[in-house]
Amino acid sequence: MRAVKGFLGRHAIVIALLCLWELSSRLNWTDSSYLPPPSVVAETVFEMWNRVNLFMHLMVSLFRVLASLLLASALGILSARLLSGLLKGAYPWLESLFKVSALVNPYCLFPLFIVFFGPGEYAKIAVLSWVSFWPVFFNSYTAFKNVDPLLVKTARSMGASGASIFFQVTLPQSLPSVFNGIRVGVQMAFFILIAAEMTGAVAGLGWIVHSAGALNQVDRIYGAGLLIVLSGFFLNRFLNYLDRGLFFWKETDTPPNAADALERPVKPLSALKLSFIGFAVFLVMALGVYQLYRAEIMLNDPSVVPEYRIWTE
Amino acid sequence: MTAIHDFLTRAFYKCGSLVLFVLLWQLACSTGLAPETFVASPAVIVKTLWIYLWDGSLYKHSVISLSRAFTGFALATLVGVPLGFLLGGWFKSFERIIGPLLYFLAQFNPFALFSVFLLLFGIGEFSKVAMIFWVSIWPVLYNASLGIRSVDPAQVKVARSLGSSKFTLLWKIVIPSSAAYLFAGLRLSAGTAFFMLIPAEMMGASRGLGWLIINAQVNYLIPRLYAGTLVIVIFGFLIDYLFRFLEWRLVGWKRPEAALS
Repeated sequence: MRAVKGFLGRHAIVIALLCLWELSSRLNWTDSSYLPPPSVVAETVFEMWNRVNLFMHLMVSLFRVLASLLLASALGILSARLLSGLLKGAYPWLESLFKVSALVNPYCLFPLFIVFFGPGEYAKIAVLSWVSFWPVFFNSYTAFKNVDPLLVKTARSMGASGASIFFQVTLPQSLPSVFNGIRVGVQMAFFILIAAEMTGAVAGLGWIVHSAGALNQVDRIYGAGLLIVLSGFFLNRFLNYLDRGLFFWKETDTPPNAADALERPVKPLSALKLSFIGFAVFLVMALGVYQLYRAEIMLNDPSVVPEYRIWTE
Repeated sequence: MTAIHDFLTRAFYKCGSLVLFVLLWQLACSTGLAPETFVASPAVIVKTLWIYLWDGSLYKHSVISLSRAFTGFALATLVGVPLGFLLGGWFKSFERIIGPLLYFLAQFNPFALFSVFLLLFGIGEFSKVAMIFWVSIWPVLYNASLGIRSVDPAQVKVARSLGSSKFTLLWKIVIPSSAAYLFAGLRLSAGTAFFMLIPAEMMGASRGLGWLIINAQVNYLIPRLYAGTLVIVIFGFLIDYLFRFLEWRLVGWKRPEAALS
């Protein structure tokens, strides 16, 4: 009860605004064909869940983000490790190239990637991986560089091998920073995913908005927009939760952006919860592949007009 | 002699990899290793840019794009800085009420809103500027409120007890001590504004750099695609550099502890 009260108190303004929006549409202060009331939007989401196979689109979008995230973090950590260890001398020389590459606006790259990889799934995953690679790489590189040299020397003098120094000294110490990079990468990737899906996709949340816009279905524009907003919000929340749970020993400083400014109690994640999260990630990947396969089949079905395809399920 | 040697070494470290990258790229294109249908060689890109520079189209598209980005950014600054000051400083209870809403709004994916903006504002300039405004207001707002929180209360008390007016307090104490955060926020906002400009123009415009690229893609004009990308990279770099320079000149004496990178 107290939790509910606290929630209501903290979000009083959101609730008040929603009520005002509902009222203004119902009382015809605003044109409800342009600004449908929130109740209608919520109803549309339910309707879409039943008729449009929303689950498929959600899974496809999540799969794209997750797949590119896994690829980008693997590559980012690996190359940061190489450039801070084995190829130490090469980094100052390569830095300008990296900085310029990271600066390239990913939306400009999108047409280029389409030219290279074709309009299919690979181009999207390549763009998303490119986007999330840079934060992961730069964060991991700085973290690996700034590991306490005393700890490394101590480990070495006790006869630890290079690999065990990396896995037992360097990595644990730099993991919070690496995770921060991953988090920024995910946020960027989700951001760009929607744009990528809007400019040409088989399925996904961005595609729903785009298609609803093309068909001038106002309720669905709002409904799909609401879904995108909510999934971004919960993605953020989830990463925040993971951050706090995994790195509960870390001192909290000023949050890096507004989204993380909400304070939350810090407690370590149990092994059970962690394995559950791992399993959930695996499940999303598996389901995503399957749903993507289904979407491809639907795309290649000549009897369905592309724009109407998702509405006729 | 050593000066020249030093300069060359530094130049090699600064942009050696970039030069080598461009050379390899050119080599790959000249030898036919990279298919001409997919990859434009640097020479071709420069030639295309040269043509666009002289027929005025580069100028036209750049001006329209930059003015859109600048309008959005300026509006965001005009609204964001005072609002951030109010939220962070004067009205603590106001912040408690409206803060959650703002933090929630800051997480909105702008593409979800794009269709809504189109619906409400039409397909003219206004919806593009509104979108740029929307994404670039959050960094400035957040950093302004952080900045005002970082003001040392002792300094404010001293100034008050010495009888300074409200305006002097703002001008002499509050703004200088929060300037580092403000500039970090402005730099982030300007970057975001230019960043968002490209998709906004890609999705519905008939002029501008974003349109140049999307049009090149649709019509399969590969040299133009690369040339447009290069121009956008250069502008992005210049904007970032300009703000870093301003930050260094104006608030270099004060480093924010948690400046956003």
